[in-house]
Amino acid sequence: MTVTYIGVRHHSPACSRLVAATIEAIRPAHVLIEGPADLNHRLDELLLGHRLPIAVYTYYRDDERVHGSWTPFCDYSPEWVALTVGRSVGAEVRFIDLPAWHPAFADRRNRYADADHRYRAVTERLCREFAVDNVDTLWDHLVEAVPDDELAERLTTYFDLVRGETVAGEDDRAREEYMASWVRAAGGPVVVVTGGFHTPAIRALAVGKGPWPEVPQPPADAVGGSYLVPYSHKRLDAFTGYQSGMPSPEYYQRLWEDGVGGAADAMVEEVVVRLRKRRQLVSTADLIAARTLTSGLARLRGHEFPSRTDVLDGLVSALVHDDLPQPPPWSTRGTLAPGTHPAIVEMVAAFSGERLGRLHAATPLPPLVADVTAELERLGLDGEGPVTLDLTAELARSRTLHRLRVLGVPGFERRSGPSSGADPVLDEQWQLTPDDGRLPALIEAAGHGATLASCAASMLRSQIPQAGIADLATLLFDGALCGIDMEVTAALADGIATAGELDALGHVLATVLGLWRHDRIFGTAGSPAFEPLIAAAVDRSLWIMEGVRGGPAPAEPARLRAVVATRDALRHAGSVLDISRSTALDVVARIAANADAPPDLRGAACGFGWSLDAEVDAVGALAGVSGPRIVGDWLAGLFAVARDRVLSDDRVIAVLDDVVSGMSEEDFLIALPALRQGFSFFPPAERETVARMVVDLGGGSARSLLRAEVDPLVVARGMALEATVDRVLAEQGLL
Amino acid sequence: MSKDLQRPPAELRYADELAALRAEDTDPRPPGWALSLAAARRFIVGDDRGVSRKFVGDPSLVDRALVTLATSRGLMLVGEPGTAKSLLSELIAAAVSGESTLTIQGGAATTEDQIKYSWNYALLVAEGPTPRSLVPAPMLRGMAEGKLVRFEEITRCPLEVQDCMLSLLSERVLAIPELTGPDGMVFAQAGFNVIATANTRDRGVNEMSAALKRRFNFETVFPIGSYDTELGLVEREAARLLEQSGVAVAPRRDVLEVLVTAFRDLRDQPERLSTVMSTAEAVSVAHAVGLRGWYLRGEAGTAADIVECLAGTAAKDNADDLARLRRYLEQQAPRRHGEQWQALHAARHLLPG
Repeated sequence: MTVTYIGVRHHSPACSRLVAATIEAIRPAHVLIEGPADLNHRLDELLLGHRLPIAVYTYYRDDERVHGSWTPFCDYSPEWVALTVGRSVGAEVRFIDLPAWHPAFADRRNRYADADHRYRAVTERLCREFAVDNVDTLWDHLVEAVPDDELAERLTTYFDLVRGETVAGEDDRAREEYMASWVRAAGGPVVVVTGGFHTPAIRALAVGKGPWPEVPQPPADAVGGSYLVPYSHKRLDAFTGYQSGMPSPEYYQRLWEDGVGGAADAMVEEVVVRLRKRRQLVSTADLIAARTLTSGLARLRGHEFPSRTDVLDGLVSALVHDDLPQPPPWSTRGTLAPGTHPAIVEMVAAFSGERLGRLHAATPLPPLVADVTAELERLGLDGEGPVTLDLTAELARSRTLHRLRVLGVPGFERRSGPSSGADPVLDEQWQLTPDDGRLPALIEAAGHGATLASCAASMLRSQIPQAGIADLATLLFDGALCGIDMEVTAALADGIATAGELDALGHVLATVLGLWRHDRIFGTAGSPAFEPLIAAAVDRSLWIMEGVRGGPAPAEPARLRAVVATRDALRHAGSVLDISRSTALDVVARIAANADAPPDLRGAACGFGWSLDAEVDAVGALAGVSGPRIVGDWLAGLFAVARDRVLSDDRVIAVLDDVVSGMSEEDFLIALPALRQGFSFFPPAERETVARMVVDLGGGSARSLLRAEVDPLVVARGMALEATVDRVLAEQGLL
Repeated sequence: MSKDLQRPPAELRYADELAALRAEDTDPRPPGWALSLAAARRFIVGDDRGVSRKFVGDPSLVDRALVTLATSRGLMLVGEPGTAKSLLSELIAAAVSGESTLTIQGGAATTEDQIKYSWNYALLVAEGPTPRSLVPAPMLRGMAEGKLVRFEEITRCPLEVQDCMLSLLSERVLAIPELTGPDGMVFAQAGFNVIATANTRDRGVNEMSAALKRRFNFETVFPIGSYDTELGLVEREAARLLEQSGVAVAPRRDVLEVLVTAFRDLRDQPERLSTVMSTAEAVSVAHAVGLRGWYLRGEAGTAADIVECLAGTAAKDNADDLARLRRYLEQQAPRRHGEQWQALHAARHLLPG
């Protein structure tokens, strides 16, 4: 028995060429490929004639865990090439890895994600040695950008070195044992195509002869399955997501089709076309410079044709005539950071490409389609026309419709319903319209999950990293409407921790706090998932609040709402916060005392402390801000946050009465608009209480104070006119 | 003689390494270069065989910079202050030309004289304009000798002074109208090019013209991405400076950790300080902390010293920065764990004002 091992990097064109050449030369009896063994009887389905990239989506649910993962294939995947070339030379082709539902894959969303982060110590040393930025560049330098001579030996040396003496984790060991058992069973010439990190271990384990192994069966009580879905280059791109494949799939597609030199030329052209379409100036001189730099870099780095990063480096040096706000993603090996230079965004997009996969018409429909059809029928939502739902009784129907809405399936439109967690609306209006676009939308969406619930969940979660702070509240509320636990990802907390706008932050905090405190209909009350968000938002709000500066300016209601939300969080969710009550009270005390802070914020900060029973001398503070240009705005802040305190302590109104009585006619007119805005924070009944307090001070009837027969604006205008007349008379010496 | 210099230029500091690299350099060299591109890169990013690592940024940045200098465009290094732009330009000049002292320091007072040439007026009066009475400035020397010229802080120069670079860079010839005959035209020799540095914080002071921008390739130098690398660098540099200043104890690791973390936090915040929290600034704070500790109390320096030094170095005289710093100490420091963080929080009252 002769076994030829080819250790590959997933999504590597050079490895694919080696695989094709080896299989054609050996014409083996068996081709064994790292891939889900439970799919072996369905290989024909894969080979129907799809347009790649496609992926096998596997879902799994039991009592303990829910898991969904992809096994993506593109034209230049070594696994795909092994499958197709193996078939064409008449070999028996088999997938030999554990099924995707197996616990060994519990932490993985993509079977062919790179494993190199587990071998960082070695790869970092190699990068230093070859003076390259990261392991992607290293790979291009060692494999993709150089001729294929002795590629097999080079790959073996590389992976042996990288794997070295490292002991594999338990998950990897289970997989390697299993793959080795297939190799032991195969007779005749065999070609084994597996990830290069596994190859050294499999070679060591596959000694002797054995029977064909069993394909593990999922536990009887588990639900799961695998089906084909269309995939896209965008999802394959490591610059756009976690656990993708190699970066820049379009580049490697071109490399696979036209070779290294052809790929470089094609990508330069693509980038220039994109930039010019965006009306960016790309002159011929710039192109010459880019060309010179690219070939210079290739020569310095010892490449016959420019490699991927030679092209990118040359383009960025020659075409960008500014400083970059963020390092280019190909040097840091991360996803695109917010604020990346627009030219770099275009370059990365060009290298990623827009290619979309399409399934052959004969491919079995994904289970999502059946799931949705059955669910709509069961809930009586398969008709058309308006539907009214009572949320207390028909939550399941509402959730189904919301899930379809967030998936972008056409024909489900929400006309009305609650707009936040604290909104006391209890019914919803929907309009259903049949639409031919539903089936394609569902097939497209099936790549996110097998059931409507899991699909909507993964769709919503995938939006979190790109969401701006203003969209977060919407996303979280959508999650509640769909009945989905929005796990708090690091991206979400990061978004909050770097938010710059107090207004938007206050909106998010109020939404989250509303869902966390009140929402019994949607079942989100007290959900621990929201707690880190509340904590992060309170931290950030206090941080921004203390930095706001500004002189007299009209009170900003959005800003005051943020202060209220922060106060509410401290009052009702104190136990989940990172920041201690005393630290928070210190912060607001400093704001209240800071003469550079805008008056509405100072008033709100004063009310913040007062409403939390801190020792605050609101009366004294009011006396300190009695100038006509600030007193109204200061009061607006105070009333927005602590109007109950004002009502229960008549001294504030008493001092205010003194302040207003002491104002000259002109000062009063200046202060009036802000005072009116301030008092608008009191609902009518409370306004009457305030009026009664004023009456107790001076006499008269509270009701008559509130029910003026003339519009107060007319009165104010009349007063202004009288003042003008008085002034003119005085000037002319007639008074 | 170099022993008593406060800071010898790179070609003296690393003379041994340069000599060794030159001796074993067999790769083709661009015309006029003292080293091949590959050897120059090794000089800057280091290798494991006796060449030290002098610049900790991305190797690809160094590649791009070197290749740019071998073309007909100049190299413009941009970035926040304190990101080692000047160090990089010095190292490149030392590697490529063997000399890093052809330097023009840009500023509001920079004139064309300091860039091109001026005259020895005594000789000028005695002999008239002759090559003998000409006093060459860095650009003239760089062009005549085929060497790299460093132009530091180019955006601090008035626009008309920046513009005098235009024809030099595109025509590669410097005319001296006062001289006649062949002396009147100095053609650039192979090996001549310009490395300019500009600071993103000075943007808008003297915005470069599009014509000048076009003659440069821009390379942005970023702050150090990895915490460990930055901590290592601060520790190494601070220890070296302290030793020079006669301090007998090395800085405490846990104090440096607090310092570097605080700098990174303040640097990454969306609302930035107007002072740049660069690695260079962190090194100087670490140096000051060590000095205070040793000369005031005979120990290595504490978190409280950090607060005292931050007020002077980081906040300078900017009231807003001081307020941000105070906010950081009040709100963020208490949430970190560790003895030194508590000490930092407790020392917040040491900030002035």
